[in-house]
Amino acid sequence: MTMLSSVAERLYWMGRYLERAEDSARLVAAYNHLIMDIPRAAELGWDVLIRILDAEPLFYQHYRVGNEQNVLRFLLAEQDSSASIPFAVRWARENVRTTRDVLPEETWEQINELHLYVSDAAEKSVGRRNRQAFLEEVISRCQRVNGMLSSSLPRDHAHRFLRLGHLLERSDMTTRLMDVGTGEILKRNGTHEAIDPLIWTSLLQALSSFGAYRRMIGPLVEAQQVLEFVFQEPLLPRSVAFCLAEIRAELKPLNNHEKAMRTLARGRRKLGKLQPEHMSREALHAYIDEFQALLADLHDAITASWFQPDTP
Amino acid sequence: MNESWKSYPAGGFFDELITPQGQPRAAARGVVRLLQKLPGNEMAERRAAAELAIREMGISFTVYNEAGNIDRAWPFDIIPRVISARQWQAVSDGLRQRSLALNHFIDDIYNRQKILADGVVPADIVLESTNFKPQCMGMSPRFGVWAHVCGSDLVRDGDGRFRVLEDNLRVPSGVSYMLENREITKRVLPELFENYSILPVDDYPSQLYQTLASLSPRERRRPCIVVLTPGIFNSAYFEHAYLAQGMGAELVEGRDLMVADDNCVYMRTVDGPVRVDVIYRRIDEEFMDPEAFRPESLLGVAGLMRAWKAGNVAIANAPGSGVADDKVIYAFVPDMIRYYLKQKPLLASVPTWLCMREKDREHVLKNLDQLVVKPANESGGYGIMVGPHSSAAVRRKFARLIEKNPRNYVAQPTLALSTAPTYIDDKVEPRHLDLRPFILQGRETWVTPGGLTRVALTRGSLVVNSSQGGGSKDTWIVEGKA
Repeated sequence: MTMLSSVAERLYWMGRYLERAEDSARLVAAYNHLIMDIPRAAELGWDVLIRILDAEPLFYQHYRVGNEQNVLRFLLAEQDSSASIPFAVRWARENVRTTRDVLPEETWEQINELHLYVSDAAEKSVGRRNRQAFLEEVISRCQRVNGMLSSSLPRDHAHRFLRLGHLLERSDMTTRLMDVGTGEILKRNGTHEAIDPLIWTSLLQALSSFGAYRRMIGPLVEAQQVLEFVFQEPLLPRSVAFCLAEIRAELKPLNNHEKAMRTLARGRRKLGKLQPEHMSREALHAYIDEFQALLADLHDAITASWFQPDTP
Repeated sequence: MNESWKSYPAGGFFDELITPQGQPRAAARGVVRLLQKLPGNEMAERRAAAELAIREMGISFTVYNEAGNIDRAWPFDIIPRVISARQWQAVSDGLRQRSLALNHFIDDIYNRQKILADGVVPADIVLESTNFKPQCMGMSPRFGVWAHVCGSDLVRDGDGRFRVLEDNLRVPSGVSYMLENREITKRVLPELFENYSILPVDDYPSQLYQTLASLSPRERRRPCIVVLTPGIFNSAYFEHAYLAQGMGAELVEGRDLMVADDNCVYMRTVDGPVRVDVIYRRIDEEFMDPEAFRPESLLGVAGLMRAWKAGNVAIANAPGSGVADDKVIYAFVPDMIRYYLKQKPLLASVPTWLCMREKDREHVLKNLDQLVVKPANESGGYGIMVGPHSSAAVRRKFARLIEKNPRNYVAQPTLALSTAPTYIDDKVEPRHLDLRPFILQGRETWVTPGGLTRVALTRGSLVVNSSQGGGSKDTWIVEGKA
């Protein structure tokens, strides 16, 4: 059974938006923890979140100051801003609505419930009191959809394109998260090294990988080791290496995959070149930027190869 | 007797389930007896169960207004309409005959035009109709069939006689609701099915599949069939998706298809272009191909007409079929039956005055307050004037319209449409209804057992369209006596 390009594209975006909703919730939750842990002097601002998501222009169209209230309203409650959780959920739902016939029956119901929950609860979750509970609920509902899909969707094109979107988005969000740790994005100079372990720990927590890190690497949380772990550990499902390997497995059986495979190979070579112990903060930040550009190229290659095929 | 059934007014209009003496008609006896015996609140409870089932099954239709598109739950009345199989057989034969004649006519018009040359149908009303598409001249689709899916609207008059009100040959819709209505009744009134032998309707998708497959230009075990929809904002999108799924066909929009240099149609898939054999078109022909029709259309596929004329793809219904779907042409269908089939029409139609004829026009203008005036060329119940329900101002407006453009108007007597018991608030009341059966024609001809019954939910209203407050009922064709 083949699949219409337009259907494949919607499934791919469904995968991306669902992962984006979950990862954004993880990001905000982790940051929320972090900011309560660190001394005032560090002066970490909430606008860091906006920078991580590359959403500065959009944010400053609507708000003047990047304070807690505004940033969280922008990310948790704004229905129409493309960086918000409700936006990602709405588009995940919209893409399911038009591909219902290739997905398990419960998909629509579950994604619809997620959508209803987010539209009801988002507004009340901007304040600190309900925030954490809201984020946890979003994460667990996203996981429920993913769990249901992975246990009942046949491994055909539908699964493949959904998974490609999911993996690509996850790689992208993971690298963004790591950028927080490099410090460049925090705009601080190296004077607050004391809080570094706190930051790296909270980043690992955002990836649900702190326990795995302790077991596989050890109890000391150090920048270089965290970076290697999150980028290169082949056994960790949220690592970039793992995602790229899975993307490769999904691309391989597809027709017309040469272009995407070449771009992916570039990404995997780039991944091998990460050597945190020999890299300055600036170099690391630049590396992550380049890596994200590569992921964008991979997205373009997928779009060109399967969603906008040429005439025969 | 259940409270809600008391004081059901017998007499007046022809009622489908209840005789003028207030007794259930033979075929409906089981249904009426059972519903009348339901204790206390059960009518209301069954209706609530039906509403829940509709929400759960996600049966909806889309309504447009200023606030955007709203998906509305499908309005459904739980009391089924019952027709005996013997009576239905005669209607079904009549529909089959009608559909054959209509297809003969379309095929003739786009080829030799014998019926025009013989003066049976005036040439100018056909050739000057906006529904006549010169682009289709010279085509002869497989089996000589153009309108593969026909939805004819039937009404029953004061004597209970079935009459054809119009034939929809362009993109008739509603069949998915016919199927869903049966599903709902099975869920909420399962005990009714114990004592009845009701003809099943649920093989419609497979019948449609066979009809479409028989049109394939390539001999293949499983031809590639697609359902072409204008998109998710169309009011019938639910039905398009439903039928595609039921047939295992792809649901496509114009941008999913392309016509290549070999004049074949391909769909864009992740494995590259795949050739399409049959297109079940749910998009108006005007928007189907910007190359042949409206150049500004974004919904269509450039080159579709080329591919069709080259015989590389079948399109159902064929472009140009609408030439027989015109309220002026309607008046000539009995003549077509006599002309092409050498038979007497089996199914009555409604006497029609054509405003283009001077004598008819005089009659119409003189009797506007008693007639129903219809534009020749609209569907969905738009632009219609019901004389007895109209104001003097509206009648003046229609008189002007008719004089300005007589070709575009026909008039018919106001029929005393039949009624059936309908559960409104907490009472069972008579409401007017019609019936849309679907006739499939490919290598063979097939008529749905029953069809979609639409009911005007407002007291006294004759307007049954769902976009204008109409509802629907499950329609039973029952064998033997119950």
